[in-house]
Amino acid sequence: MHEPVAQPTTEVLAAPTAPRGRAIVVTSGKGGVGKTTTTANIGHALARRGATVALVDADIGLRNLDLVLGLEQRVRYHVLDVLEEKISLDDALVRDKHSPTLCLLAAAQAREKDDVDETKMKALIDQLRERFDYVIIDSPAGIEQGFKNAVIGASEAIVVCTPEVSAVRDVDRVIGLLGNAFRPQLIVNRLRPALVKKGKMLSVEDVNAILRLPLLGVIGDEPEIIITTNRGMPIALQDEGATAAAYRAIAARIAGEDVAAPTVEVKDSFMDRLGSFFGGRR
Amino acid sequence: MFDLVEVVEGRCQLRQALIKDKRFGDCLSILPAAQTRDKDAVTPEQFSSVVAQAAEQCDFVLVDCPAGIEGGFRNAIAGVGEAIVVTTPEVSAIRDADRVIGKLVERALPIRLIINRLRPEMVRTQDMLSVDDVCEILSAELLGVIPDDEEIIDMTNRGEPIALNPSMRLATIYDKIARRLEGELVPFTSFDSPGFFGRLFGALKAG
Ligand SMILES: Nc1ncnc2c1ncn2[C@@H]1O[C@H](COP(=O)(O)OP(=O)(O)OP(=O)(O)O)[C@@H](O)[C@H]1O
Ligand SMILES: Nc1ncnc2c1ncn2[C@@H]1O[C@H](COP(=O)(O)OP(=O)(O)OP(=O)(O)O)[C@@H](O)[C@H]1O
Ligand SMILES: [Mg+2]
Ligand SMILES: [Mg+2]
Repeated sequence: MHEPVAQPTTEVLAAPTAPRGRAIVVTSGKGGVGKTTTTANIGHALARRGATVALVDADIGLRNLDLVLGLEQRVRYHVLDVLEEKISLDDALVRDKHSPTLCLLAAAQAREKDDVDETKMKALIDQLRERFDYVIIDSPAGIEQGFKNAVIGASEAIVVCTPEVSAVRDVDRVIGLLGNAFRPQLIVNRLRPALVKKGKMLSVEDVNAILRLPLLGVIGDEPEIIITTNRGMPIALQDEGATAAAYRAIAARIAGEDVAAPTVEVKDSFMDRLGSFFGGRR
Repeated sequence: MFDLVEVVEGRCQLRQALIKDKRFGDCLSILPAAQTRDKDAVTPEQFSSVVAQAAEQCDFVLVDCPAGIEGGFRNAIAGVGEAIVVTTPEVSAIRDADRVIGKLVERALPIRLIINRLRPEMVRTQDMLSVDDVCEILSAELLGVIPDDEEIIDMTNRGEPIALNPSMRLATIYDKIARRLEGELVPFTSFDSPGFFGRLFGALKAG
C-alpha cells in the first residue's frame, strides 16, 4: 500500500504551477459554425500578446486550418507523420508568416480519422504543451473518432455556436459529452444584431439560456471574415476594426484578464458596422 | 416515436417509424436519426437496407448526410444511387467538397452540385468565388444556387419549410431544384432569384 516510490509522484502532482502550456480544444458538434476560423483568429490574437502558440488541425481528411492561415504552400508533413514517427515534431511544425510565435501542425489530407492512435495523440499534445504557452486544437464536426482525437489531449474546451436552433442542439450534446472536466467556455459566432432586434435570430442570451456556459466572446456575422478566410489572412491580424478587437478581447480573457462583458461592447459596435453595411459599403 | 436505429434493430417496422409531415399531405415523411446513439450503432449494410425499403414506398429518398467523411458519411452513402453535394462558395468548403466528391466518384455515384449561401454582391466585388468558379474547380454539374438569405435562418429556426414560404423568391429556387431532380430541363436564368443574381447568371451555361 504505502510504497516509498509514491513520494516523488506526489511531488509532481502537487506542482500545478509548473510552467506547462494550456491545451484548448475548439469544438461544436455542428459543422461549419466557425471552429477553424475561431482557432486561427484566437491563435493570432494570443500570439500578438507575446505568447507562443501551436495550432493543431485535428480534422484529418478534411483539413482547413492551413488554408485559413494562408500556410497551405508551406505544409510538407502532418500530424500522422509525427504520430507514426516518420518525421520529428520540429520538422512538422510550420512557422506562421505573420506571427513569429505561432506554429501550425497540419492534418493529413489523404488519411482517415480512424488512423489516429488516441494515446499517441495525447502524448503529442503533452509534448507540445512543454514547448508552447497555448496548444489550440481545431476539432472536426461531429462526435465520432475525429472529435475524440481532438479532445483527448486537451484540458480545456471552447465551444463555438451560431445563434441557430440546430447548432444549439448539437453544441448542447457536445457539452454533455465533454462534462465538467474541460471547463467549456462559449463563443457565439455569426451573430446578426439587426436580426436579433427583429426577433428573427436567437440572441446571445437565448443561446446561453440553454447552454449555460461562461461566455468567452461574441463575433458578428461579417463578410470581412469570409474575405479574410478566403485569402488566408485571419482578421485578427488587422490593427483596426471591431472584429479584430473582439478576438483580442477573447485572447485577453483566455489569458485570464478581466475584460468587460463581451455582449455590451459587441452590440454597439456591430450595430454601427451593420448600419454602414446596409448603407451601401458593399 | 421510433427512430432509424430502432428500425434497423427490428424493434419496429419502417412505416411505424416514418413521421408524416401533414403540411404536405401524404407526400413527405421523415425518418428521424437516433439522438442518443453513436453513428456506429448502424452498419452501412443495415443503413442501405432501410434506404432500399423506403425506396419501395417513395419516389425519392433523401438522405441527410452528417459533416465529415467518417462512419456517418459511409452509412449515408451506402444505399444511394446518386449524390447532391452542397458547398458554400468559400475556399475551405470547396476543398472539403472536392475531397467528398473524390469519395463519391470512387463509388461511381453520379454527382450534382448545390452552391449555398452565395452573396452576389460579394461575387461582384470579387470577394467571393462565382458559381462558374466553383463549378469549374469541382468540375461537377450544377443543380442549383441558393443565396445567403436571413429568411432561411429564421424559417429554419422556426421549423418552417422554405418550400411553403410565402416569399416566392426562395420557394421558387427550391422548386426549380426539385424539378431538375425530376428530370425536367429547367434553364438556369436570372429568374432563379429575381433581383438577386441578375447579370451574374448571364455568364452561366444552361444545363
Ligand atoms: N463570424 C463569421 N462571419 C461570417 N462568416 C463566417 C464567420 N465565421 C465563420 N465564417 C465562415 O463560415 C465558413 C465556415 O467556417 P469554418 O470553416 O471556420 O467552420 P468550421 O466549424 O471549422 O467547419 P467544419 O465543421 O467543416 O470544420 C467559413 O468559410 C468562414 O468564412
Ligand atoms: N442559404 C442560406 N442562407 C442563410 N443561412 C443558411 C442558408 N443555408 C443554411 N443556413 C443556415 O446555416 C445553418 C446550418 O445549416 P444546416 O444545419 O442545414 O447545415 P448542415 O450542413 O446540415 O450542418 P451539419 O454539418 O452540422 O449537419 C442553419 O441554421 C441555417 O439557418
Ligand atoms: Mg473546421
Ligand atoms: Mg446537417
